[in-house]
Amino acid sequence: MLEIIRIHNELLGTYGDRGNSDVLQYRAGLRRIKARVIDISYLDAVPRTGDIYLLGGAEDAAQLLSLQALRKGSILAKAASKGAVVLAICAGFQLLGTKYQTRDEEFAGLGLLDVETTPGDKRLVGDIAVKSTLFAEPLTGFENHSSVTTLGADVQPFATVISGNGNGVANLDGAMDKNVFGTYLHGPVLARNPEFADLLLERALGEALNPVNDELADEYAKWRRALIK
Amino acid sequence: MRSLKLRLAISIAKTASATSRLLGHKGETLPGRILLAIEPEAISLLAQGKEVILVSGTNGKTSTTKAVAQIVSQLGDVATSGSGSNLAWGAANALMSPAPYAVLEIDELHLPSIIAQTDPTIVLLLNLTRDQLHRMHEVKRVADRWHVECSEATETIFVADIDDPYINYAIVNAQNVVRVSFGGRNHADGAVCPRCGSYLSWVRGNYSCICGLTNKINELKFKKGSAAYRNAILANIVGEIVGANPVEFDKSALERTVTKEISGKKAHFRLTKNPASWTEALQADLHPDVILVLNARQVDGIDTSWLWDVSFKVLKGHRVFVTGERALDMAYRIHVEGIESTVVTNVDEALAQCAGNEVSVLSAYTAFFELVM
Repeated sequence: MLEIIRIHNELLGTYGDRGNSDVLQYRAGLRRIKARVIDISYLDAVPRTGDIYLLGGAEDAAQLLSLQALRKGSILAKAASKGAVVLAICAGFQLLGTKYQTRDEEFAGLGLLDVETTPGDKRLVGDIAVKSTLFAEPLTGFENHSSVTTLGADVQPFATVISGNGNGVANLDGAMDKNVFGTYLHGPVLARNPEFADLLLERALGEALNPVNDELADEYAKWRRALIK
Repeated sequence: MRSLKLRLAISIAKTASATSRLLGHKGETLPGRILLAIEPEAISLLAQGKEVILVSGTNGKTSTTKAVAQIVSQLGDVATSGSGSNLAWGAANALMSPAPYAVLEIDELHLPSIIAQTDPTIVLLLNLTRDQLHRMHEVKRVADRWHVECSEATETIFVADIDDPYINYAIVNAQNVVRVSFGGRNHADGAVCPRCGSYLSWVRGNYSCICGLTNKINELKFKKGSAAYRNAILANIVGEIVGANPVEFDKSALERTVTKEISGKKAHFRLTKNPASWTEALQADLHPDVILVLNARQVDGIDTSWLWDVSFKVLKGHRVFVTGERALDMAYRIHVEGIESTVVTNVDEALAQCAGNEVSVLSAYTAFFELVM
């Protein structure tokens, strides 16, 4: 049984990112792999046994609450060091860094990714397309944030930006380190890009997946790619 | 006495309105724009001497504004915004009328500036939930702006549905507030206290915070019910304040529903534009044939990620057709929830394939207007 842990969706669920877990479960199901989505609220302890942990986008106050709760026991960092898959979007991605700043304050992040986030001077809103070396085709999504995220030496960029902004610097989007992935792509990103969902499942299972034929998923991803300007 | 400049501006704007109508437009945006271009102070000048009532919120603005206008019309002529034209120029256009009362629907982001300009007698605040985030960015951002303006408008009476924590926060420092609660209603975006940033405690759809923000009140506490029911009560409370008698409303009058006969079939259209309104619409009785229409233009919200925050499970067992410019966004979203649909090019094509004679059509904002208005 694959355990997909949806962390603080009531806080980190502002931009539809809960769909990422639905898509993972669905695509596992297409291969007859049993997967369970476990919702962990701010008041719950984060389980140590998860195979995939998901964090989404949030407003400022919600992001801070989530950070405070996730600091307890450093469970995410421990799980990641044992090889668990972590996918974090937007505010969730910022939380995984070493630190992030708001207009008024600076916070130490959870330290899963060697990135730092500072406030930018404008809101970055719109469709985004990126190219990651992990995939043959570009990925598409929607971004809505006003921060700039800078990568340190110990982390790889997740992708380069084709159109849109991503991290807001160096034409890069997101970051990755082993099985930990951060990106600014909402959409939800795994709905718009099924190959990314499959990659996360493979990483979690530690083996290659059987190909599946889900025509609608492929048609949808292809259609969204065709709209890239 | 209106100044020469204002009178001139009105006269030009009215001519433009007539021309615009001749050309087949509804003619509500253009004259207001012209008026404001010639006289930027027009809204505040025209509001002087009028009893102004403003209605705002994410969902239910248009229908509740109509209800309030109908109630207030017992007392005298009412100037009102027609078809959801709720930005500054829509207000300017409506205010050109000599009517002693003005009941205006105002866009959430424009509300603070319109309050400052019109010095309204009453402002009715319905709800704040996620909508058009590419424009609003965050719900909290809108609530912060309301909070500042509501605190400053010391002459205005705010009628507020405080079951929504963002509304309660908006009016928490206002001088004159009529707080209304129906209770028992969760808020999909209400996990964090908008006032102090703490985690809100929710019990059976009622909230309280360590900072004191709560929807528990002793008076004006009604039983829980649909959005249409709540908005009818809120509209009548506004009416009572200005001295009008209560009016009973047909449920459909306070829902954005329109029934249209198309090629021998009865299509029941309902406006669905964000997670809250979709969720409300999916709780209603639906016909076996359901058509979902999704667009993603500016007023629809150009990002459709929020579809994943709506559960479409109730559509299981229905025959579902999907259309609109973003039909595939919808088709794939419900596919993952186990609901297969037929993607068609337009509503007419869907209707032709519907088995029943009555069909439910849940439609995005821009599509709703094109199909129904």
